[in-house]
Parts: sequence; C-alpha cells; structure tokens
Amino acid sequence: MRRLLRDNRDKLLEIAVQGEIVSPSSRGYRAQWDGRPKMPLGMGGIKYNLKVGDLCFGWASGDHVEPGVTIRGKEKKNPSDCALAHLACIGNEAAVVNGEAKGAKGVFTGRHAGSDDIVHFDQETLEKLAIGDKVQVKAVGVGLRLLDYPDIRLNKCSPRLLDSLGLKEKDSKLVAPAVKEVPSFLMGSGIGFSPVTEPVDYDIQTTDPKAVEKYGLETLRLGDVVCLKDQLCINGRGYYKGAVTIGVIVHGASDFSGHGPGVNPILSTREGRLGYEIVEKANIADWWGLK
Amino acid sequence: MVETNKGRLLEIAVVGEVVHSVVEPSYMTNWDSTPTVGLGRGGIVYNVKPGDPCFGWAWGEKVEPGISADGTGGDGEKNSFRSFSCVGNEVKIVEGEAKGEVGVLVGKVGYLPEGGHHLVLHFNDQTLEKLTIGDKVQVKTCGVGLEFKDYPGVRAVGLSPRLLDTMGLGEKKGRLTVPVAKVIPPEYVGQGSGGSPAESNNWDVMTQSPDAVEALKDLKLGDIVCLKDILTAWGRGYYEGAVTVGVVSCGASSRMGQGIGVTTIMTCEGGEIEPVLEPHANISKYLGLGSA
Repeated sequence: MRRLLRDNRDKLLEIAVQGEIVSPSSRGYRAQWDGRPKMPLGMGGIKYNLKVGDLCFGWASGDHVEPGVTIRGKEKKNPSDCALAHLACIGNEAAVVNGEAKGAKGVFTGRHAGSDDIVHFDQETLEKLAIGDKVQVKAVGVGLRLLDYPDIRLNKCSPRLLDSLGLKEKDSKLVAPAVKEVPSFLMGSGIGFSPVTEPVDYDIQTTDPKAVEKYGLETLRLGDVVCLKDQLCINGRGYYKGAVTIGVIVHGASDFSGHGPGVNPILSTREGRLGYEIVEKANIADWWGLK
Repeated sequence: MVETNKGRLLEIAVVGEVVHSVVEPSYMTNWDSTPTVGLGRGGIVYNVKPGDPCFGWAWGEKVEPGISADGTGGDGEKNSFRSFSCVGNEVKIVEGEAKGEVGVLVGKVGYLPEGGHHLVLHFNDQTLEKLTIGDKVQVKTCGVGLEFKDYPGVRAVGLSPRLLDTMGLGEKKGRLTVPVAKVIPPEYVGQGSGGSPAESNNWDVMTQSPDAVEALKDLKLGDIVCLKDILTAWGRGYYEGAVTVGVVSCGASSRMGQGIGVTTIMTCEGGEIEPVLEPHANISKYLGLGSA
C-alpha cells in the first residue's frame, strides 16, 4: 500500500503580497540570435488571448510571452526585491483588490525573472481589468518541505501544486511527472544569476533550430512540468552532474541568444532521490481547469 | 598571413576609473549553502596576474588579476567603455601619481552586483604600487568591426589587432586555426547566457560540479579557451556546431551557475574556427606580461 507523502504544510505561514498590473514596455528593435531585428511582444500587461496551457512557440513577433496578466511588486524599486517575487508560489490564490474587477479570483502561475509575476484570470475578469489594477496573492508555500526527503528543495511550490503533481515513491525515490527532459547544456539565461532561487526563472534555450527539433521542444506548453537534467536549483541555478530539477514553464519561447521558455524550478536535489517519468500531459492549466 | 581589415579600424578614447573591490552587504551564500566572504572581485589586486591559477585563492571569488576599472558618467559613456574596448588595447593612467604609465586590457568581467562591469587591466608592479582607487584611466580602443577577409563567418568580438597578431592563428583546409589551452563543453558554460551585446560582459564556466572542477583545475588566468557549441555573435547562447574563443578573465566561483570568466574574442556559427590545443596559449605570453 502506498505510503502517504508527509510534508509540513500545517506549519506554513499564509501571507498577503501585492502587485500591480503593469504596462508592456518597448525599447524598439532588438537583435535576434542571427543578427536580424525583432520587436518583441508578449511581456507585461494584459494578454487577452494567451493563457497558461497555450503553446510556447509560434506567436507572431512573440518573445518570452507571459500568459494572462503580468503584475509587479511596487514596494521596492526592483520588482525582484519585492515580497511578491519571493513569496508567491505557483498555485496560490490571487484576487483583484480594486477597480472594475474587484473581488475576482485568479491563480498565480509563475515568475519571469527580472520583473514579471504572472497571474491567470478567466476571460470575463480579463475584460474588466485595467493596467494599474492591484492584485493580491495569498502567498503560501515558501518553507514547504517533504519530511521523508529532506534533501529535496521545494521552490515556488504551493501545497496545491504539490498535490497536483501526484508524486509517487518508487525504490526509495520520489518520482515526478514531466512532459520533456531537457539536457543541461540547453539551460540559458538566468543561470548563475543571483544565489536566491525564489525570484528567478531560467530559460530553455530555443534559438538553435536543431536542438528544438532534437528535443521536441516545439510542443511545449505554458504551464507544462519539465525535467532539467544535471541542474541544481538550491541556492541559485546551475550545472551539477547527477542533479535533477523539476520545473514549471512560465513563459514562452524566444529568438534572442541564450533565451527560450522560462522555467520556475519547483523540486531540486543532487542526492539522487528525485526521479521523473515522461508523460504525455502534465500541465497546471489542465489540473486546475484554467481557461 | 590571415588578412583582416585592421587598416580601417577606428581608434577611439574611452575613459573610466579604478574601482573598489566588490563586496556583499552580508555573507555570500555559496552553492552548497555555506557562507563566505568572496574576495578578489576587482579593485587593485596586487598579487594576482595573468598566468596565475584560477583556483585556490583563500576565500577567492572570481578573482580578477591586477587592476579593474569601470566607465564613468551616464549609461551611454559607461557602455562605450565596456563595449568599444578590446582585449589587447593600450590603457594609460591619465590622473594620479601613476600618470602617464601604460598598461594593457586583459579581460572583461560583468554581471557584478548593482550592474557593475570591470575592464581587467595589467600594469607592471611599480605602477601598481602608485595606483589608487579612483585614478582615471583611458583606453585607446581599437578592434570593434574587425573582420577576417577570407572568413566572413568568423566574427571578431572585442579583439584588438595587437592580440590577433600574437595569437598564432593559422589556416587549414579553409578553416581558421586558433591555439587554445582547453576546449570546454557547453554543459559547463553558465552565467552570461542570454546576455548582450557580445562585446561587453563575459561567459562563466561553472565551477561547482566535481567533474567540471576536475576538468578545469589547471586553467590559468589569461588562458585562451574554446567554448564548444557556444555562439557569441549577437548575444550569448547555445548553438550546436558553433565555436566561441575567449580569454580567461577571472577565477573560479563558489556561487551556483557562476565560475571562471571568459571574455569572448572570436566566434562562428558553422565551425569556421578550428581550435588547436596548445597548453601555453595565454595572453601573458602573447602580450609579454612577464609571467606564465
């Protein structure tokens, strides 16, 4: 009989953190990996027709597309230093606290390094939201631990996400589902950046068409759970032979060198007690009915 | 003789100043959760020079040899200091007790706290003793736009004609041969990915995983190295078959995803560069800096 996975969720603090819907910003053209210029779309603001569960690739002039609504902490100059960036976990409940959509509920779906915290709301709410509206997240998950797997570092993982993962125990290992396994040399932008794991995602590089095809990355969806081989995300992000990291895709593909779909690490260890099983579907939008 | 357009390169002055060594406001968190004080990230480091080891300095963190300087003024002026300057360019002290002394640019290190970026400069020991933090330095930049006439697929990045002429480049079956001290696989290549422009900042070769440390342990500051399957043309990223050649500009790191700094000098997408192993491929030898 399967043993119940024990954790410390009854000891987690629940804390309100807040952000504001930000406008997209543009600095004109930027050089793609091959030197051609591009005006990138899809970061910041309200995206009416892009939701978690949609494809990472293929959006016209899209780059690092963030599904749904992008908010930022405002209590400090750098959004990455704000409480929202550190404490909000994937699966946390979000609520609009002012404006026409006041009271509408949503879900925190991840953080794009540097600035952008990403929240899902339904279509009816999206139509009511305005840039500048405030969103509050009931942050819970930082400090979450698996009592029988103390070496596994959880990050940005809410109890809700932990439950949805459906982790299995097999041969003294914890087995997580993943739709893709990503070789370590494809991990790019965000690697090494800051020794703090919580506020930063990092990118699966998708500018080499050969690699995209070889590893079947074009089918990746926003919200997918993936496995990063030989990657350790305990104090920051980087290469460590034998380590395993499981993460959630938070934003879409890119044409800029070193960039691609962003991953928020959710489970990581170098002790060899975390395994993975490749499955056809493992996506937070499917699990939580986000449309 | 490899033909280039070096007769058409502009020579332009950019100005900066000798900076303080970078320190954290609290203890640094190492990759393995231990705390440390990371020493040696710039400023004036009297006893480390190109040719010295990358590993082993007591509490050393990305140790930069010699003098480090950053641009002064607004973002535009700073960026010109960081991007126009090329490895091998002449640097002159224009203010302070060491005024008039001449040195050479040996590397670049970016991604420092609060957006810091260092040009790593070599001066002789007598000059080091005279220099003070805040002294003004001027670089006679030359190299941006350097092209190889017979190798249009090879992009020179932050490479001066002076260094180019000393590197022992050759030609073999339509490819440009470049002596390098080591060929480094893409899985070891970390911070720097996604950054642009290619001319400023650096790559980090990660030094946390024991296999990487073993493979890199004999690397020296100033070594010329090849990053396999790494393209540094219009940004930094992975590209199968690409080659990046760079100069080791700082030592090993205890931070996850960070490590030995590599300042790009050449890159190609399709394998037009052929690295040739040469254990003594080091800019200290090439530029006659007196060690290695």
